[in-house]
Amino acid sequence: MVDLTEIEGYRVVPLRMTPDAKHCHSIYMREHFIRLMDPNKPKGRTLFLLNVPPYVTEASLQTFFKSKGKVESVLFAEKPGRDETEHWYEGLDVPFSNVEAPFKFKVAYVVFEKSTTIGRALVIESIDLFNSSGECLIKTGMELWHDNYVNKYILDAEKTQRQIDAYMAKYDKRERAALAAAKTSEADPDGWVTVGKDGRNAGFEQKESVVGRIERKMEKDKKTKELKNFYTFQIRESKMQNIVELRKKYEEDKQKIELLKKSRRFRPF
Amino acid sequence: MGRIKENQSKKKTLLRDSKAYSDQAAAAVTSSDDGFDEPKEITAPKRKLPCGNSDAKKKKFKHPEANVKPPTLEEIKEIRDTRNLFHSNLFKLQVKEMLEELQLKPKYSNYIENWLETFTTAVHEFQDGLLDNCQLEVPLHLHKKLFNFQFLTPTAEPKLIGAAAIGTLLGPKLVVDVALEMPEKCFQKEDYRNLIFDQKRALYLATVASKLKELPACAADHFAYNYHANNPLKPVLELTPTGKIGKHLSLRLYITAPKAIFKLSRFVPWNNNVRPSFFGDKWDESETLPSTQHYNANVLFDLTLAENQKLLLSTFSGHRNFQEGLLLLKVWLRQRQLDVGFSGFSAHILAAYIVYLKQNRLLHQSSSSYQVARTVWNQLANSDWTQGITLCPQQPHQLSTLAGYYDVCFMDVTGYYNICANLPLSVYKAVCAEAKLAVELLNDVRVNSFSQIFMQASPLYTRMDNILKITNPATVDQLLELHVQPQVKYDYANYAHPQLLKLLTDLLQKGLGKRVHAILPLETASKSWTVDTKAPIIGRSLTLGLILDPEHAFEVLDKGPATNEDAEGAAEFRKFWGEKSNLRRFQDGSITEAVVWAAVTDAPSKKRLIVRQIVLHLLEQHLQLEQSDVHYIAGELDIIYSLTSSFKVAKLQTKLKLEQETDAEAVTPLVIHCYDALARQLHTLGDLPLDIVSISGISPVFRYCEPQPLLPQARLVADRMHAGHVLRVIIQLGPSGKWPNELGALRSLKTAFLIQIGKQLKEQQHLHTQLCKEGLLVLKQGYCFLLELAHTKEVALLKQQQTERGVTAYVDNAASREIERRHYILPRVSGALHALHQSHSTFGPTVLIAKRWLATQMIDDGLWPSIATELLVAHLFQQRQMPHTTVAPQTGFIRFLQLLAHSDWASELFLLNFNNSWTEQQITDLEHSYRSERDSYPALCLATAYDQQHAGRLWTTDDCPSKPVLGRVTLLARHALQLIESSLLSPSLGFVRPAQLFIASGEGYDLVIELKPDLLPNTLCYDLGSPFLPFSQRNFRLPLAGIDQLAKIVQQLRSAYSEYAAFFYNPHGGKELAIVWRPASEFAPKPFKVNELQACTPCSVGKVQVVRDTLVEDFKLLLKDFYLRICTPEQLKREQRSHNKPKRYFDDQSEPDVDKPQKKKKKKGTVTKPTDLKKRLKKSKSLSALC
Repeated sequence: MVDLTEIEGYRVVPLRMTPDAKHCHSIYMREHFIRLMDPNKPKGRTLFLLNVPPYVTEASLQTFFKSKGKVESVLFAEKPGRDETEHWYEGLDVPFSNVEAPFKFKVAYVVFEKSTTIGRALVIESIDLFNSSGECLIKTGMELWHDNYVNKYILDAEKTQRQIDAYMAKYDKRERAALAAAKTSEADPDGWVTVGKDGRNAGFEQKESVVGRIERKMEKDKKTKELKNFYTFQIRESKMQNIVELRKKYEEDKQKIELLKKSRRFRPF
Repeated sequence: MGRIKENQSKKKTLLRDSKAYSDQAAAAVTSSDDGFDEPKEITAPKRKLPCGNSDAKKKKFKHPEANVKPPTLEEIKEIRDTRNLFHSNLFKLQVKEMLEELQLKPKYSNYIENWLETFTTAVHEFQDGLLDNCQLEVPLHLHKKLFNFQFLTPTAEPKLIGAAAIGTLLGPKLVVDVALEMPEKCFQKEDYRNLIFDQKRALYLATVASKLKELPACAADHFAYNYHANNPLKPVLELTPTGKIGKHLSLRLYITAPKAIFKLSRFVPWNNNVRPSFFGDKWDESETLPSTQHYNANVLFDLTLAENQKLLLSTFSGHRNFQEGLLLLKVWLRQRQLDVGFSGFSAHILAAYIVYLKQNRLLHQSSSSYQVARTVWNQLANSDWTQGITLCPQQPHQLSTLAGYYDVCFMDVTGYYNICANLPLSVYKAVCAEAKLAVELLNDVRVNSFSQIFMQASPLYTRMDNILKITNPATVDQLLELHVQPQVKYDYANYAHPQLLKLLTDLLQKGLGKRVHAILPLETASKSWTVDTKAPIIGRSLTLGLILDPEHAFEVLDKGPATNEDAEGAAEFRKFWGEKSNLRRFQDGSITEAVVWAAVTDAPSKKRLIVRQIVLHLLEQHLQLEQSDVHYIAGELDIIYSLTSSFKVAKLQTKLKLEQETDAEAVTPLVIHCYDALARQLHTLGDLPLDIVSISGISPVFRYCEPQPLLPQARLVADRMHAGHVLRVIIQLGPSGKWPNELGALRSLKTAFLIQIGKQLKEQQHLHTQLCKEGLLVLKQGYCFLLELAHTKEVALLKQQQTERGVTAYVDNAASREIERRHYILPRVSGALHALHQSHSTFGPTVLIAKRWLATQMIDDGLWPSIATELLVAHLFQQRQMPHTTVAPQTGFIRFLQLLAHSDWASELFLLNFNNSWTEQQITDLEHSYRSERDSYPALCLATAYDQQHAGRLWTTDDCPSKPVLGRVTLLARHALQLIESSLLSPSLGFVRPAQLFIASGEGYDLVIELKPDLLPNTLCYDLGSPFLPFSQRNFRLPLAGIDQLAKIVQQLRSAYSEYAAFFYNPHGGKELAIVWRPASEFAPKPFKVNELQACTPCSVGKVQVVRDTLVEDFKLLLKDFYLRICTPEQLKREQRSHNKPKRYFDDQSEPDVDKPQKKKKKKGTVTKPTDLKKRLKKSKSLSALC
């Protein structure tokens, strides 16, 4: 019998949704360790799980691992790597945008409060996402759908209004602070002065279109200073250019035809 | 070093090319003033140069001038020609390529030459003799009178005629025509009369055939008879050589007669050459005999053949330009199927017309092939042959006299034979219309019309709005016996088809008047029969296609003359229309006879059947035909989008006027009406900080594209809104500078606005509203609307990015594109499609059928965006491939299928240039970019006038539809077309039953998940059933408003498991999910890799694999409480059979279903596959290709 509970340094445990589950997904786990550490996934306290099925939630994993020791956080990502976690949660914090986390197989990082918990977590036989009475911790199917509809899809107008008011108040504060900062135009420790659109010495707007317009104008100015059809050699060259272009077009068309020929587009029947 | 080499080769190619398209390379080099060096012989360095000194040379060679060769005069001329004549090189090159493709291969021309030689020597060795020793059947159906006939050895040499003679043979099946002239002695003086000539011809042919058959050289060939151009008096011998060559080539032997045997003047149109007594009829001696102009032309065809051939040869032989021009025209004509049958516009007419144009100096000896084709189209478009034209320099009789006897008159070189004798006026007009369209397409610089003119096959039946089929033999007999005038019978020598054609077109033309553009016969070429069987009787059926005029076709009223002014006319009108005609008084005070066909308020689908009603009435009134005697094909598929009969409208509580027999098209105006009312209410809302400036609906129903009938059902149940559909509406507010610069804040404010609007609507208009994640739900008159706010800043904020230089840039991304599409572009496209429907009222219903078809083939929105269907159909209505846009949704659907079946997705870009807002330059740029960067565009590429900066990438994405889905849709469309075509052209069937088209095949799926029927509401459409399950209890309960549960779940499944399985369901009320596993390689053990571990379980040391059972468990978990069971299609079927054959909706449909598993078992057991399974196998194979 081959030992299938360990592979390439990962411990393999089944993920059981019910006590009597037969066909389970395998979770591959080990201690999280990379050279460039992420402060959100501290060394020695983070458990790394591979192949987490799409329907598993942060809360359910947290509930399960709580039995091994206090859990600080559970984070998901599509695949291991830098910034993947940020990417996973991107846009989720913007209010009233219908962004949802991807529904895909993912990896999880379980951060414990104490580093000792990791050892205990690594010897488990299976990850059981059900409670003592055998009920699944994750809502799925009709239940989840109904839950989502009632609690997330339908919004209560008054409650939402309060949320909005709170958010806007915070936003206004931020804006005012930024505005004030721009107006003072004091040099920061490195000696840089932030220049906004307002204020005493406002610069032009740092937009691509604006920058592009200015650059184009400069180029155009340069061109108008140049005479084009003045010397004989210039006229001669432009004529030549014309012929070269015509030939090029002909060649291009010919190539197109070659391409079309390959797909047999010239047999009418 | 490498560079130098490259440089050299470039030079060489340039040299070669200029040689290629200018034969004289050394020709006139223009003066050195144009900036070109004189061409120099460049000696290519063959050995490697030492690296050291090559640097200097490299630079010299890189100098651009060194690459340019001076243009020759030829080149300049060529370029100018291209610009002036073709608009683009591309068109010219395409034509050139096609002509090359059509070129006759030398192996065939050699074969023909050899064959003719053998045949000539063989013919001269034929012995004279009596007919008795001919063993074969005579290929003619006549009640023969016995007469003596002796076979005489032909004196003249057999000759190639037609396409083979003038070098314009056209594949893929080459037909070489050979003429053999009967010797003069075979005929007696009186033979011109009573079809004796034709009988002798046939006898002679039979004798030649039997003698040929005895020859060792021909013995192995396949001998068959056929009729020339479906003409039963013109049998020909069809020889198909054995071996490979026979697949592509066959020879036809015509028997002709020398001109000298009769005087040609005997066959002038007003002479009678078929006596009434021949058919046993009596004729009053004192009256002049009826003219038999068509029969006369029939004989003259043989007599004048030699001379006409001579004339054609003089123009065509040796002139490649004329031959190629004719080839182009033949391709064009054949793609339109206007050259088929007795009444077809044959290629012979085209050839003669080219000669005519040359005689009249409209074509020049040196015109290019393209100019020939173009001139012919141009002249045809403006021609009027009803007055008669002639090839004869000294016309023996006045053209105007001759023209009176025929519809169309084009006299040949002798001045006696009318080449167009059998051509009905309608076919001639149709050809002219096509020619006109071709010229317009050529003149339009915006489109590359090549494929539209030459490549796209558009069978004649796809141009017909309605089709009338009379195939019942008893009916045909009745018509011929009782209603055809005897003169017509003599004229056509009792050939049924033209008699029926004349009878019915005359009647229908009179009855339908300006309702029809054209009534065209749809003929199929006769099939050959072997030489020892009797000649078949052909033409005893008629298929007429009607092209309707959209402006007049569906008028509900036919008004006759006023009774008091024109009593005679009124009486005639009453006689013509029979009891249907009533005396009516109109609002303008006139009192006239009139026929009313429908009420003005009738549903459009009902109005579309007015023409059907008229035709059936006319047939009954004048020809005593019952509806069951004929097939009238119109509106068979309308049922697809009508309301299912099991839903009772009477139970609905609504103020709106609704009938039980309604459909999606008829309820749409109600919805739009309700939406307009809501828009008015929104506009009048006071107390909003900003005004509402625009309101636009973006749901398909607002552009008549919603295939499910939307009934006013939505309502409030226990404070929750229930609705089958939500109708999305986009609102824009007036401008203000105070919107925040942060996405979160902006969206918060937007939501606050919606709350405000909701409050106001409730207070001022007493409408129920409910805030939700996507917007504001509003309930009005039983419809549920979802209001969304659009703001330009949102798009900008989504696009905003910081570049490395710290400059703010605006870059399109998926999220911004989606918002821009939904909030800004879709409303405009929606408006444009709505306008399209206003001008072509068929657009909407065509989309409805198309969408329903795709849905029933288990192609849902996630696989194929439904807007793509709308845009493709819109493209059909915008593109001018046919002279008339259709007024029948059914025909529109057939054209849509054709588009799906024959489009080359990889190279075609579908551009909907609403209002022509794309300029020519922009189109060229787009096409150029499309061609050069094909991979950056999605598999199906659609662009409209309103999405220029996203051109091609807005409506479809790389995986929706993906290439496999496109392939599958193409295959399904081809299959459907085959079904339609075979039923349309079959003599016994009318139109294909909707159930055949609209129930997908259940083959090829691995798993079926049956969902709980009580959780999913049925569609309100007419339901034809599912491929897997019998009908279950109907469930019309309304779901909660806003989310389509099934679509959402499938979307989740696809996002997580699409690497392992493909998911299919019918979005219109389907209650099962079909699953196909990806190929087994996906499930094979693979080495452990951290990034490729999804869904994997370890299976052996260091290896992992995906286990299907685990995935099925996942499906079960995700669909908890939602599914009934999961099983394979075979299990389902077995269960159904054991279930004591449950009653199926379509009984005959259930039988093949039951057969299927048995066949499948057979397939598994034995290696050989039964041939009848082929089609189905192909289908399921493509399904597995999806994975």
